[in-house]
Amino acid sequence: MKLLFELPDAEKRIVSERLGNEQILYCTPADLNEKGKKSDGWVVVTRRKILFLEEGRIKKEFDITEGRGYASVSMVGNGILEAVFNGEPQIIARYTMRHVPRYAYIARALNVLSEGREPHIVSGEDENVCPKCGRRLPRGSKVCPKCLDRMSALKKLGQVVKPYWSLIGIALLLFWLVTALSLITPYLYRVFIDDVLMAERRDIKLILFFVGSIALVQSLNTLVTVLRGRVMIKVGSNIAAELRSMVYTKIQELSLSYIQKRKTGDLMNRINSDTNRIKEFIQHQTTTGINQIITLIGICIVLFVTNWKLALLVILPTPFVTVSIRLIWKKIHAMYHRCWKTWDKANSLLQDILSGIRVVKSFGQEEKEILRFKKASRKYADVSGNAEKVFNTVFPIYGFFMGIGQFFVLYYGSQLVLGEKMKLGQLVQFTQYVSMLYGPLSFMSFLPRMFADAMNAIGRVFEIIDEEPEIADTGHVVHHRIKGRVEFRNVTFGYQSHEPVLENINLEVSPGEMIGLVGHSGAGKSTLINLIMRLYDVDDGQILIDGIDIRDIPLQDLRSQIGVVLQETFLFSGTILDNIRYSKPDATMDEIIMAAKIANAHDFIVKFPDGYDTKVGENGYNLSGGERQRIAIARAILHNPRILILDEATASLDTESEQLIQEALARLVKDRTTFAIAHRLSTLKNANRLMVIDKGKKAELGTHDELLKKKGIYYGLVMAQRQMFKVRGAKAGS
Amino acid sequence: MPDTVVKDIEQYTEINYLTSETAEFERTDGGFLSLTTKDGRKYPRVDLYRAFPFTKPREYISVREPESKEIGVKAKEIGVIRCLDDFPENIAKLIEEQLDRRYFSPMIIKINNIKEEFGYYYWDVLTDVGTCRFTVRGGHNIVPIGEDSGRILIIDVDGNRFEIKDYASLDKKSVKKLESVI
Repeated sequence: MKLLFELPDAEKRIVSERLGNEQILYCTPADLNEKGKKSDGWVVVTRRKILFLEEGRIKKEFDITEGRGYASVSMVGNGILEAVFNGEPQIIARYTMRHVPRYAYIARALNVLSEGREPHIVSGEDENVCPKCGRRLPRGSKVCPKCLDRMSALKKLGQVVKPYWSLIGIALLLFWLVTALSLITPYLYRVFIDDVLMAERRDIKLILFFVGSIALVQSLNTLVTVLRGRVMIKVGSNIAAELRSMVYTKIQELSLSYIQKRKTGDLMNRINSDTNRIKEFIQHQTTTGINQIITLIGICIVLFVTNWKLALLVILPTPFVTVSIRLIWKKIHAMYHRCWKTWDKANSLLQDILSGIRVVKSFGQEEKEILRFKKASRKYADVSGNAEKVFNTVFPIYGFFMGIGQFFVLYYGSQLVLGEKMKLGQLVQFTQYVSMLYGPLSFMSFLPRMFADAMNAIGRVFEIIDEEPEIADTGHVVHHRIKGRVEFRNVTFGYQSHEPVLENINLEVSPGEMIGLVGHSGAGKSTLINLIMRLYDVDDGQILIDGIDIRDIPLQDLRSQIGVVLQETFLFSGTILDNIRYSKPDATMDEIIMAAKIANAHDFIVKFPDGYDTKVGENGYNLSGGERQRIAIARAILHNPRILILDEATASLDTESEQLIQEALARLVKDRTTFAIAHRLSTLKNANRLMVIDKGKKAELGTHDELLKKKGIYYGLVMAQRQMFKVRGAKAGS
Repeated sequence: MPDTVVKDIEQYTEINYLTSETAEFERTDGGFLSLTTKDGRKYPRVDLYRAFPFTKPREYISVREPESKEIGVKAKEIGVIRCLDDFPENIAKLIEEQLDRRYFSPMIIKINNIKEEFGYYYWDVLTDVGTCRFTVRGGHNIVPIGEDSGRILIIDVDGNRFEIKDYASLDKKSVKKLESVI
């Protein structure tokens, strides 16, 4: 992200007049004035000063060291850069949302400068506009759809297509055949009419010969078309499957931060619809395109050779035809899009009501919901009815006008025939060719759009395939059997680097120690855990395991020695057995039962009719939250990790199952370095030490008793929970 | 229920309504607002939030301590202004000035152009703060406010907001351009 803009000349002069040749460290636009009007403002930062320029004048000037607490505050629809000067909060500049992340960096730099240190703040974030043309880049993509290098995209596709060249060659041959065959039929008609019918040759053998050859050509044509379709489907779906698995493999390799920056739906689209579009492109558009072009050229040649005047008559209206097709399609497309939108609305309303049916019924709101849906449904009926009406009116009429050329041909042709300048068979042949002409023409008018769509799909797919994983093993990896000593050194991290979620965390954990992580939601507890698992890399500082930077331990080694039990237990579709041995597929049955016993899961599992073979997950047996949790614990136990992470493992459980799980957890935690997050502080009673995180910083660290004595944040949280408990107890008692 | 517990709950849920009798707002030199309450407490700076930004922009305004970066400090709500009319005009104006800063969404007066390219809509409009060009992603970021009020909120890719008060009252050309995207 750009933090040092080039000032316009007038401003540059003013700034250099004021500051001499002091080095400008940061210079960014501030596009709103105090009153909220658009204006041409700039913030210029040197080592000593902040200048705020507006409309070519220096409006404000600050000494950086006099200010404290520089911050870019993001409000609704705009942001301000503020700081406290001599105890007085001041607004330095105001800007639209576009610049808010920029100013977050500037504020950080100003805070460093105000302490008299040198800022090393650069932004790793990308600008989200295309550097070439200034267009917005599609979300989560660095490829501008306009400036996409079409040739290199095609080349890449060519690499994937390579193994199928021979098949494609065969398909192309078949294409030529189909075209040739379909051009032969009208010719046969002509000869048949002119040389047999008009010549009045009553030779039954000859008639049979012609009928037979026309039938033969037609059936050959059908046969070859079928063959061609089969070959192309084979090529298309193979290539699509290959691309899909390439994208999927890459997504599995990429770091979580890459995946989380993108919506699941976006990624699914890349794997499914984009590859599908490429398949369509290969299977239909390229091949149909080639076919249509060949046909088009063929027909044109034949037409002009037969009678060039008539041919001109047919060709002349074609530009008009192509243009009008496009116009009408645009209109129809817009109508159907609106249709689709109202349908979508009615649909999501329905889904809403059905999934919330318990709420609707318990508040007795059925009447209202019925009305609401009726209205949406009525609207869809109206809109779609309209669209259908237009479609069904426009297209038949349109078809009629498309055929108007044929009337001319018929009219002039018949005069030619009557004037004996043309034979009847020739005219029939001619009209047949003309009717074959408009198909390819209307197809060609869509070709540019289809081509562009396909190129974009190719671009998007290869963007992922070519992506380098952000989190990768370094060159000098050390295979390491973890003993369990974990150390955080000045760890700073933010999901977006301008907003640090964790700042300067220092912590040393001995092997086998259990650390409870406490803090308000959003304080950064889960982030800390993500860093231990190396789902993300730290922005600054180090995390060491047994003295080794975790970036030097192979990812596979690291994660295979860390076990996780999360709040929302994810069980894959499959049996309980599959789920327990997910991390250790070669575990024996004895080991599995042992793990389940330790997890307090064995007893309830054997009571199921299908025991360990019970199917769970989607469409499977419905397990309770506590049961799922215990299966997850069994999974973690079997995994036998050196470092264990419990993220709100007992949050959503009733008291009884919590006790069972507490028991199971206590067994699991033994002799393992453990990090546990829990909102219910009683869950952390086994922890050796507690770390309180507040606003991304280490606020308190110590044992339960130490922290209580301190009467700080932890004390407040404990008291608040006791209060809650009292209220609940009182309510239950009253 | 024990009395102490009941009292605690009341303390949590009670709304402290601020009126011109109980609260004195003043503009600070830095352009923010300070507040002195009747009980003598002085807040050198307060932040204002609308509880119902669309339906009741002049009512139910939450007056809060500014968010602090310090560890363990939680910003609290000081009180709620039920209606700006509870204050004299000059004070109401001060408060509105602060609110307008926090809630910034230019009103669209005229739509010059909307162009669609590759899933983004490039808008070129005239607003009450001047000409604005912005980019909107897809169709989901054009949101009608309320049912059949004609009021529309548009959120661009960066999070800037633009409003149309009543789209039926725009000129014909603008309406046509708008209808092509919604």
